[in-house]
Amino acid sequence: MNKIEAKNVDVYYGAKQALFDINMDIEANKVTALIGPSGCGKSTFLRCLNRMNDVIDICKVSGVVKINDYDINQKDTDVVRLREKVGMIFQKPNPFPKTIYENISYGPEIHGIAQSKSEMDNIVEESLRKAALWEEVKDRIHEPGTGLSGGQQQRLCIARTISIKPEVILMDEPCSALDPIATAQIEELIDELRKEHTIIIVTHSMSQAARVSQNTGFFHLGKLIEVGSTDKIFKNPTQQQTQDYITGRFG
Amino acid sequence: MNSVIFLTIVLLALSSYFFGRKKAILIQSNKRLTALPKFYGYYLAIWCGAPAFLLYALWSIFEPSIVRFFILSDYSSQGLLEGELNLFYEKVKSLSRNQYSGELTAELQRSAEKYLNFRDIAKWSKVVIVLSLLIASTGYAYTKISKNTKTREPVEIFLKGVFFLSSLAAILTTIGIIFSLLFQTIEFFQVIPLFDFVFGMHWYPAKAFVRDASEALDPSMYSDTFGAVPIFAGTFFIALIAMCVAIPIGLLSGIYMAEYASKRLRQYAKPVIEILAGIPTVVYGFFAALTVGPFLKDLGLSLGLEVSAESALAAGGVMGIMIIPFISSLSDDVITSVPQNLRDGSYAMGATKSETIKRVIFPAALPGIVGSILLGVSRAIGETMIVVMASGLAANLTLNPLESTSTITAQIVVILIGDQQFGDPKTQAAFALGLSLFIVTLVLNIVALSVVKKYREKYE
Repeated sequence: MNKIEAKNVDVYYGAKQALFDINMDIEANKVTALIGPSGCGKSTFLRCLNRMNDVIDICKVSGVVKINDYDINQKDTDVVRLREKVGMIFQKPNPFPKTIYENISYGPEIHGIAQSKSEMDNIVEESLRKAALWEEVKDRIHEPGTGLSGGQQQRLCIARTISIKPEVILMDEPCSALDPIATAQIEELIDELRKEHTIIIVTHSMSQAARVSQNTGFFHLGKLIEVGSTDKIFKNPTQQQTQDYITGRFG
Repeated sequence: MNSVIFLTIVLLALSSYFFGRKKAILIQSNKRLTALPKFYGYYLAIWCGAPAFLLYALWSIFEPSIVRFFILSDYSSQGLLEGELNLFYEKVKSLSRNQYSGELTAELQRSAEKYLNFRDIAKWSKVVIVLSLLIASTGYAYTKISKNTKTREPVEIFLKGVFFLSSLAAILTTIGIIFSLLFQTIEFFQVIPLFDFVFGMHWYPAKAFVRDASEALDPSMYSDTFGAVPIFAGTFFIALIAMCVAIPIGLLSGIYMAEYASKRLRQYAKPVIEILAGIPTVVYGFFAALTVGPFLKDLGLSLGLEVSAESALAAGGVMGIMIIPFISSLSDDVITSVPQNLRDGSYAMGATKSETIKRVIFPAALPGIVGSILLGVSRAIGETMIVVMASGLAANLTLNPLESTSTITAQIVVILIGDQQFGDPKTQAAFALGLSLFIVTLVLNIVALSVVKKYREKYE
């Protein structure tokens, strides 16, 4: 079943067109990797899926993006509800300048999910456990989240995102600022998370795409060149450009 | 004459720059130098200008007292008092300028001639000695210039010295001001007990005007005169009124400018707000005294309230308007510098704009905002003109914003307008007030800085 269907998506930054007629289906409870050289539009496409492009003044999006068969690009879409369902992890860990506990409780509070203090405590603990961070921070959850290491901060951001149980999690190069050990921890976590969430990850590392994803889309110069199962894209691509990129001939 | 010498030194130093550089370029044509030719120019210019200028400055400082010493050395053995000697010397000087109209004595005439003579000698020997030092030092440096001369290091050391002296001058001035405040204040407290000053409930310096300066000082006549409680209270009260106006308006407009206003609006609106900061406070003062004060009085009358034409409310309110741009502009800058990725993180959680501002951006920007508010408070406490013009000069102890009250700064003005006499408690009271004001603003600034520093470390 397709969780997300994008049809004829064009994106403009001012007069410059960044995405050209993207059509892509994303399967539920799978990890879909978006790969491609820098500036190919993969992050822009990712930001179309929770309308984060709204934040950028000059950015204009057209086309249809259906999540659970509902077009999110309609005028009257409630962006708050949308982003509750579609969470996002950024390239650089961005914990709020608050305690670890407050970082996690932020989402449940603004969406009114927890009714009591004990319920909130449970959500915080559960989220931290799912993000494989609980054991490391359980004694200091009332200390600032910014005091954690880079890898821990990124897992804190993941915990923050899953605290409101989104159906989809978008990840924009989540490991690019991390060391190999922290990267391995996050990758392990991604595999765990796909049981409950649909994950779309933008990555620069082809080996990472091969390791974590079931499906892969290859972007080049604002166009989606090829999309399919990761196995097929990496072993037997149909397009010459994909073949060239995978084998490292450009990009 | 002095300016001619000064200009000569500057011109010679400038031209020696070119000589030094030229010589270096000539050497450079067959051998590689240790520094760029311009450093040789600087080197020669410094050797030309600095020693001569230093001597010139020292000479100008010490010349008058040396001349005075020579003139008065004839009379110092006659057992005259210091005051009489001073008076005599002043007479000599005015006679030498042909401005003396008193009784002429042979002594006076002789000394005046001697004075003119000495001044002449001093003037010409200054020219000769300064110029010969200049020539000697320039010549010395010029002959030293060769391919192996180290020029970059001495120039750098010289510049370092200039920077050091500049900051030293600033620091010494500050220390000097503090000590002058301190000494006068200590003298003041020898007459007026500290307890009476800090806890006294009546501030009535006019009482001190009536003293006849020839009578001996009797501390008991100042009891209940210099009690600073009413003016401290007035100061904080007016500052409080000002901040009640400035904080909400300044902060909210700062948030609007940073988060909501479009680029175009911000581009025009921000400078307009900042113009408010450029209006001289005396203009705010008559705005408060002539427009706001009477308006409040009329408004009060129509509501059946007794409002003084000079009220704390008028002064504080206008002062608040004056402080708005400080808070608005600074908090705008602080909020704008909160990293975009924090905003993105919050929006991606489904937070609305106002939730993001309230719960993420505002806490992150808080230290800077607190800093800007404390800066505004110290402006409010130090503001003089508006209070003098709009809030009256009577130091009433009141918490009614519709009555007139006075502040530390306004009272300093009151005390120091007109005739004053050094060593008088009335004049020294101004120093005591100045020192208290200085301590309050110093503490505010230290608190502001430490708050900002503490949180900045935490958030990065």
